[in-house]
Amino acid sequence: MTDEQPTYTEAVLRLETIVSTLERGGMGLDETLKLYEEGADLLKRCKSELATAEGKLNELQLDEIEFELKAEKQ
Amino acid sequence: MFKNRGHFFETMTGSGQVTTGPLPIGQFVQLIKQTVSHDPLFRNQALKGEVTQWKQYASGHTYFSLRDQDGQMSAVIWKGKCPIDPSIKEGSEVVVIATLDLYVKRGNIQLVVQRIEPVNVLGELEKAKRLLIEDLKQEGELDRNRLPIPAVPKHIAIVTGAGSAALSDMHRLIDNRWPGLRRTVIGVLVQGPRAPQEIVRGLAVTRSLATEKTAKERGEPPVDLVIVGRGGGSPEDLWAFNLESVARAILASPVPVVSAVGHESDVLVSDLVADLRASTPSDAIERVVPSRNEMEFLLDEMDERLKVASRRQLIDCRQKITVLHSRLRVAPLAGLNRAKGEMMRIASRIDRAARQTLSVQSNALARYEASLAAVHPQRVLERGYSMTQTAEGAVLSSVEGLQSGQDIILHFADGSADAQILKTQKIEGTK
Repeated sequence: MTDEQPTYTEAVLRLETIVSTLERGGMGLDETLKLYEEGADLLKRCKSELATAEGKLNELQLDEIEFELKAEKQ
Repeated sequence: MFKNRGHFFETMTGSGQVTTGPLPIGQFVQLIKQTVSHDPLFRNQALKGEVTQWKQYASGHTYFSLRDQDGQMSAVIWKGKCPIDPSIKEGSEVVVIATLDLYVKRGNIQLVVQRIEPVNVLGELEKAKRLLIEDLKQEGELDRNRLPIPAVPKHIAIVTGAGSAALSDMHRLIDNRWPGLRRTVIGVLVQGPRAPQEIVRGLAVTRSLATEKTAKERGEPPVDLVIVGRGGGSPEDLWAFNLESVARAILASPVPVVSAVGHESDVLVSDLVADLRASTPSDAIERVVPSRNEMEFLLDEMDERLKVASRRQLIDCRQKITVLHSRLRVAPLAGLNRAKGEMMRIASRIDRAARQTLSVQSNALARYEASLAAVHPQRVLERGYSMTQTAEGAVLSSVEGLQSGQDIILHFADGSADAQILKTQKIEGTK
C-alpha cells in the first residue's frame, strides 16, 4: 500500500484480501499480527469515513449561491 | 374636416374619380380590398403561427385562426384547395402560404390559405441532436473513461428544479438510505428558453464547490458527486438536456456527474456524456447513495471475520511452538544452540504478541511464554543443574551403560568441564 490514503473502495478491497488470507491460514506469528494490525486500522478508517458523509443540507437558488461564491472570492 | 377627408379619398382612388361627398362604406371597403390585393406583401406570403379554433366543416372548407403572442388573424382553406396534414390540430405550429383577402360584405379580412404545413419543431431539434452526438463521438467524448462514483459520497451537489417533485423524491430517498447525508441543492430552471443557461451556470457552481479552496472557505468537504436532472416530461420539455452547452458543462466537471432526467425510451445527450446515466432522479439516488446500515453491517461482519481468523492463526502458531518445545527437549546438544536461537526469536514474537490489542489470545500467549521460560534448558542450568554428555555428544539421562573410566562432558550455565566416571551407582526402584 502506498503512502497515499486509500479510497474507501480500495480500503474495503484490501480488507477483504487480508481477511481471506488470514482465513486461509498457514502464516507465521509475525505475519498474522501484521495483517491483523493493518486490518484493524483499515476498519477504523472505513468506519470513521462513514461518519464524515453526514453534514449540512444547503438548498439555494442559482442566483443566491452564485452571489455567495462571488462574495467569498472577494 | 370632411373636405380634408374628401381630399383623402380623391387621392386614394388614384383613378381620376373625384369624390366630393362622404364615401359609401361599401366603396370604401372595396377600395381597401383593391389596395390590399395589389400589394405583393399580402400575396402568397409565408406566415408562421399557432392554429386555434380549427374547424373543418361538412362543406369541405376549413376555418381557423393563426396566432402568436403578438397577434392573430382568421384564415380559411377552401375545399380542395390544398392538402391538409392530418396531424394539424388545435395548437399545432404551422407555416402557411396565404393571400390576404377582404370579405367586403362584412368588412372582415382573412387569410386564404394555399398551402399549410405543420412545423416539425422536434424534427429540427432531433437533427441538431444527431449532429451534436456525431461531433461528440468524433471528439472521443463518448468513449472517454468515466469517473468512478465515490463509494461514500461526502458532498453531493444536486442541480435541479427548486421545489420540484423530483427534488422531494430525491431528498426522501437520500434520507431513507443515509440520513443527514451532506448535500447542496442548486435550484435552476429545467424547462423553457432559460433552462439551458441556468443548468450550465448551476454546473459551473458545482465545479467551484468541488475545489479544495472554495470548500475550505465554506467549511465543508469539496463536492465529490454531481446529480443533474429533472422529472419526466415531453421531449420538448427535456430538450435542454440535449443541448451542446449542457453537454459541455457536464464534460467539464472534475467530479463525476450523474444524468438523472426522467425518461424511459429516448437517450438524451446528457446521458451519453455523463459519468453515470440514471433513468430518473430517484434511480440516481438509488445508484449513488449507499445504505448506511448496509455498509455498517458489512464492516461489522468484516471486523468479526478479521478477529476470528487472527485468533485461529495465533492458536496455530502456539501449537507450532509446542511442537518446537518438545523437539527441543529431546534434541542433542548439537541442535541445542540452534533451537535455543529459534526459541529466543519465538519468545520475542510472543513478547510482541502480548502487547497486541488482541487481549484474550495474547494473554494466553503471555502465559505460555512464562511456562516456556520456566522449562528453558538455560534456566535449568542457571539453577545449579548440569547436563551430562558422552564424549560422542549423546545426552546422558541415566547411569545405565556407564563404565568406570569413561570420558564425559559436564555442561554448566556458563561453560563445560571434561570429566571421567569413577564409579556408578543406581538408585533402587528407578528404571
